[in-house]
Amino acid sequence: MSENTDKRIEEQARREFEEAYKFDSSDPLFGLRKEEMRGPKMTRRAVMRLLAAAGALTFVDVLAACAPSAPAAPAAPAAEGEAAPAEAAAVGGELTCGWAGVDEIRTLDPAQINQVLQFQIASNVMSGLTHINPDLTAEGDLATDWTVSDDGLEWVFTLRQGVTFHNGDPFTADDVIYTYERSSNPELSIHSGVLTNVTSVEKVDDYTVKFTLSAPQASFLVKTLERASGRAMTIVNKRSIEEDGPENYGLFPIGTGPFKVTENLLGQSTVIEKFADYYDPERPKLDKVTFIPIPEPEPLAAALEAGDIQLIGGNPPAAELIDRFVANPDLVVSEITGPGFQSLWLNPHREPMVVEDFNKPVEELKKEKGFMVRLAIAKAIDRDDLIKRAAFGRGTPAFGTINPAMRYFFDTGINETSEQRFDAAAAQQLLADAGFPGGEGFPTLKMVITPAGKREGEILVDILKQNLGITVELDIKDFPVLVDMFDAMDFDLLRIGSGGDYDPDDGLVDWTLTTSKFNGPNRDASMAFGFFSDAEADALIEEQRATVDLEKRRELVQQANKIASDKVASAFLNHPVDTLVYRKEVNYPEVSRIPGLVDLDRVTISS
Amino acid sequence: MSDIADLAAPTRHIDLGDEPMRTRSRWLWVHAFWQRKPAVLALFVLLVILFAALFAPWVAPHDPNSQEFEFLSPPSFEHPMGTDDLGRDLFSRIVYGARISLFVGVSTVVLAMLIGVTLGLFAGYYGGWIDTLITAYVDLQWAFPNFIIAVYLVAVFGTGLTNVIIAVMLAYIDDFSRVVRGMVFTIREQPFVTASRAAGASDARIIIRHILPNSMAPIIVQATVGVSSAILAEAGLSFLGLGVKPTTPTWGLILSDARTFFSRGWWLAIYPGLAITVTVLSINFLGDALRDIFDVREYD
Amino acid sequence: MTRFLVRRLLVSVVVIWAIATLVFFMLRMVPGDPIGAMLADVDPSAAEALRARLGLDQPVYVQYVRWMVNMLRGDMGNSIYGSNQPVRQIIAEALPRTLSISLVAIVIALVISFTAGIISAVKKGTWMDHVVTFIAILGLSMPSFWLGILLIIVFAVNLNWLPAIGYAPLSDGFWPWFSHIILPAIAVGTPFAAIIARMIRSSMLEVSREDFIRTARSKGLSARVVLVRHIFRNALIPVVTVMGIAFALLMTGAVIVENVFAIKGLGRVLIQSILNRDYPVVQGAILIVSLVFVATNLLVDVLYTVIDPRIRY
Repeated sequence: MSENTDKRIEEQARREFEEAYKFDSSDPLFGLRKEEMRGPKMTRRAVMRLLAAAGALTFVDVLAACAPSAPAAPAAPAAEGEAAPAEAAAVGGELTCGWAGVDEIRTLDPAQINQVLQFQIASNVMSGLTHINPDLTAEGDLATDWTVSDDGLEWVFTLRQGVTFHNGDPFTADDVIYTYERSSNPELSIHSGVLTNVTSVEKVDDYTVKFTLSAPQASFLVKTLERASGRAMTIVNKRSIEEDGPENYGLFPIGTGPFKVTENLLGQSTVIEKFADYYDPERPKLDKVTFIPIPEPEPLAAALEAGDIQLIGGNPPAAELIDRFVANPDLVVSEITGPGFQSLWLNPHREPMVVEDFNKPVEELKKEKGFMVRLAIAKAIDRDDLIKRAAFGRGTPAFGTINPAMRYFFDTGINETSEQRFDAAAAQQLLADAGFPGGEGFPTLKMVITPAGKREGEILVDILKQNLGITVELDIKDFPVLVDMFDAMDFDLLRIGSGGDYDPDDGLVDWTLTTSKFNGPNRDASMAFGFFSDAEADALIEEQRATVDLEKRRELVQQANKIASDKVASAFLNHPVDTLVYRKEVNYPEVSRIPGLVDLDRVTISS
Repeated sequence: MSDIADLAAPTRHIDLGDEPMRTRSRWLWVHAFWQRKPAVLALFVLLVILFAALFAPWVAPHDPNSQEFEFLSPPSFEHPMGTDDLGRDLFSRIVYGARISLFVGVSTVVLAMLIGVTLGLFAGYYGGWIDTLITAYVDLQWAFPNFIIAVYLVAVFGTGLTNVIIAVMLAYIDDFSRVVRGMVFTIREQPFVTASRAAGASDARIIIRHILPNSMAPIIVQATVGVSSAILAEAGLSFLGLGVKPTTPTWGLILSDARTFFSRGWWLAIYPGLAITVTVLSINFLGDALRDIFDVREYD
Repeated sequence: MTRFLVRRLLVSVVVIWAIATLVFFMLRMVPGDPIGAMLADVDPSAAEALRARLGLDQPVYVQYVRWMVNMLRGDMGNSIYGSNQPVRQIIAEALPRTLSISLVAIVIALVISFTAGIISAVKKGTWMDHVVTFIAILGLSMPSFWLGILLIIVFAVNLNWLPAIGYAPLSDGFWPWFSHIILPAIAVGTPFAAIIARMIRSSMLEVSREDFIRTARSKGLSARVVLVRHIFRNALIPVVTVMGIAFALLMTGAVIVENVFAIKGLGRVLIQSILNRDYPVVQGAILIVSLVFVATNLLVDVLYTVIDPRIRY
């Protein structure tokens, strides 16, 4: 793609992007005609405007959709017999996938799923009323059509007929009601929060349901009803849950998706097979897919190179493997700007990093020893060096949760303005002021990190040793354990981050807001907050959520982001790239390259 | 139960001859040893490794943890074994790794020997309930390979150098107790011991003057064998992430860490493995020779 | 014989009980009480509830008795992480994998070691004997995980003949199962083969000097008959004694090698539960690994009496 085309596409994208935001926020339909919002597929303009209104539209989405490499039009929803002849020829076969960086895929129950690597599989087994496609527009999945009332509060969905669950039960409106009841109950589902704006769901007839909202919600179709990332309204089967219990459902979820789970050996393999009665007879193409969790990098790479596995999903594969994969002619490496960040979290409840209250100006905080230590650690990390050595040059230095995939919102100057900007001398001074000149007398801290992150951990240890003279020990823990420790605030230093932040809300609400679901939910009750809490940032985050003016919202987002950065919510490290790796014989169509997902229903394999 | 190496040779009873062994000429041993060329070579190799470990700061050309060099550069004059994926000099890491390997191997076995021999002496010499108790414990441990016991103990104590040493040390106690107890039973009834007892020698005197020196040969053989298997045990624990700190260079850990880079740097797969193998091989050859020398009965 | 068996069985039961008890108390003796430490970070009321549910609010002896009773019922508790899978299920899935590796390793190792051991004994003192001896000592000196890595590099990555990692159950067919098992089996079987080969060599040489062999020779029996019928058969007896020990070593190797080949067998379960501090799983895995060892020792003792008619208890 020439630079000119690049420019042209960017221009077009910017126009579309800004057009999407031209509406009166008091208008419940955001200046759209009712027809534009109707199913089975909203117009592109409507989707973008709704996303914009919900704060869920990102420039990169628009850009990706404009680029010539992307399909001109997303595949027709649930196309009845529309598969291209070439694809039709390659039907059948088995695919084996390695699930990176995880020891066992613990649950596939939508009500319990909390990891990308779980819903990547669930998305192949379960359905929602809608599903997103690569340009993040909603398509009908189990809903064939829908209408919305003038005030934007009532949504009426026409359900697809003749859909059956894997156990033979027919899919009807009752299943939507049951799913809603289960998912909105905080006792039964961890995603009940997603449904708080829904006041009721009524069955109109067997194939019609009506949702009533308490306030207009533009992201309703994409965030609430979507089958994968939303997870709240992923349709579940009542009979299976009641007869076999939720534990069994986590292993063998009965859904209406293209594949059904036929075997699930925790920690060894999960097998899904083609569901013959899937509503689209053209899908899935493959007969059988096996997912093997492979926690360590080398076995993963060896397995892919030897052809034991043909595709890598799950957590991002270790950085050191990517060059090796790129150099291998048998492999395809698809890299896109990653919507996420990685961070080194510093427990504010542990010495010598204690900060009891972040609610004071940075200059005040800078007088506290605990904060000095936090800032010293954050300032001592040379991100460019880290990226060069740990990620072999892939990625962008991070100083906040707002990532470069959110282009318009990303603060390109933050590497100059953040208190965390790299300055070894200033870091040493801070540490000396905190009472540890040259790192003398500084306690040995433990850094919790996954096996796949160990190499990066060693580099961080080296950087901190070189620049601050402090000693950090690595504590290697499998990913699920690390998540448990993070939730319980049971660490000194811990490296974790996010891989699916498409909108400022994802970065800010999840990682900066005091009430965030990640903010030490299982911590000791005596801790007032988990890793971070700041009233000013909270207020800004709430405000930007409701702000529709683009310039204004960007300002609010960047302000909140900068507070988290300046007050060292964590020592931000890098924004990684999003990578999908598979063998040449796998045909992974562009239409399925949805960031964060591994949808296999259109994937084929040539022998 | 003892690990691999001592099973390689069939258990033979030690023929003591009629007299305490210490009266024999030591030169005979040296001569017998010199006859065994592989063992002499093995001893030489071990001395080189020991020297490197002791004088690591002078032998190693670079700081083993310094990540200042080019990643993955192949062996050269500057880096005889190349550099690893973090730009550390592999030769220096292996030299420093020898310290941990030899230290763990030797210190665990020495400690295990002190405790095990004491237990064995008590059990064998005094018999009765002491013997029953000690033997029960030793038998319990004997039912499991040393490495598994070490893993169990690390499970309880946690990882880290001290814990690994304690775990490996405890795992080897039974080997010594068993050997010594057996020896005591044999020696206790020998004429020179009964004579000494009749002459009114104290228990301590009998143990120190007669029993201990005569048990020395099998203890030394057992110790040699123990060191080689303790080195393998430490490497295994480190490889599994149950060893010393994840940033300390040890042979097992170097190998484990470099796993993702083997296809880009063969030297990373070869040298750390060779370091372990050559060391253990040398000790095994040495052990074999010692066993043959101390054992009067010959096959061929 | 029956008396011996009963006695031996009782001892085994006592050993298992002792191990279980030791592990139970040791894991509770660890500084900071790992289970308590795990709960400390949870919200206190939830921690209280969890304590009560796990019975940790009871005195230790009550916990112990309860735990023992559960064990006898085959209930080994649940993993403390994620979906809280029952330990019994985790182990039931892992055990066949470890046993597969071990059994294939034994078969391979026996074939190699008998051939090598006999050649070495018959050609005593020749270059063949020296080569076999050297290879045997080398086999004992190589860490099994290194051998495993080298095998993966050569046979899976470079030659692409065999899968690099993973496991396929026998129900998937013989070849899928065997192709996954063969490399780890070679890696763990090598020290085993080395021991047996050396054992065979020396016990054959020892037997060949015994009086009855001289008698057999002097009776004019052919060298072949003497070798097969007398020397080899009698040389087997000491070999059997080390079989149990060698099998235990094989399991040791499996513990490490499973981690190289990413096979979730008993060893990997044990190591990962230790790394993750998943104590119910650690306890269960230790118990089962111990059970395997004790059972093997028992089996070997019995086998020993069967093979060597001179031994009577």
